[in-house]
Amino acid sequence: MAQAVGPSTTPVREIRTESEVSPDLPWDVIVWDDPVNLMSYVVFVFKQVFGFPDHLARKLMLEVHEQGRALVASEPREQAERYVHALHGYGLRATMERPS
Amino acid sequence: MTATFVRRGERIRLQLRPPEVDLLARLAGELRTALEEPGPDDPVVARLFPPAVLGDPDADREVRDLLADALLADRLAGLEAVLELLERGRRSRGRLVVDLAEEEPLLVLGVLNDIRLAIGARIDIEALDRDRLAEDDPLAYPVAVMDHLGWWQEQLLAILDGRDRQA
Repeated sequence: MAQAVGPSTTPVREIRTESEVSPDLPWDVIVWDDPVNLMSYVVFVFKQVFGFPDHLARKLMLEVHEQGRALVASEPREQAERYVHALHGYGLRATMERPS
Repeated sequence: MTATFVRRGERIRLQLRPPEVDLLARLAGELRTALEEPGPDDPVVARLFPPAVLGDPDADREVRDLLADALLADRLAGLEAVLELLERGRRSRGRLVVDLAEEEPLLVLGVLNDIRLAIGARIDIEALDRDRLAEDDPLAYPVAVMDHLGWWQEQLLAILDGRDRQA
């Protein structure tokens, strides 16, 4: 998306630096759709990594498949990193981000 | 077609025909080489070590650096384990038979997935229209290999999920 450049009179929101952001604010862990990972495999991985019951794992897998992405966890940074680590280990495309 | 994975009591048995043994050994060896001596901009490396943080390049670099060594070590250990399984197997009725212990089914599942991801990355599967793939297309073979290994994964997942007992 294009953004306006040059001087502006409108106040610009200050960019927050790392130290100003509480480390405890939750990060969203997102799993993205992928043409290779099998649907049954993604369900299996969700159960392994998050301990989700079958119906929830299946629901989230379908969300990934149909919407292209699904929010699978919202956790403090370290836990979010652990989840991303585990999901990458299984070969899923997973990212974490601060909710905007 | 005979099953590649079957339940034997509490164990899972892997049984491969000789061409399948050769195929799996070759693909596992190739992936190991690709990970140990990564070429510049190798799509396989990009796929197996994907972005971790969105919207914050510094945090992304930080987290990926943090995870890279462990992810690589786990992937190489899995490949090593699978290559050893193929060495360990015994011949029975023209097949290689390996009884998998404890964590080995999970390792095999992960290695099969990594190999399929690697093939997919090499042939740029995201841009591929499978329905328009001609039989003599050079990509028809790698796609068929991915499907074959995917069928192995489905069998293994059915056993791990206990679905084979319900059938």
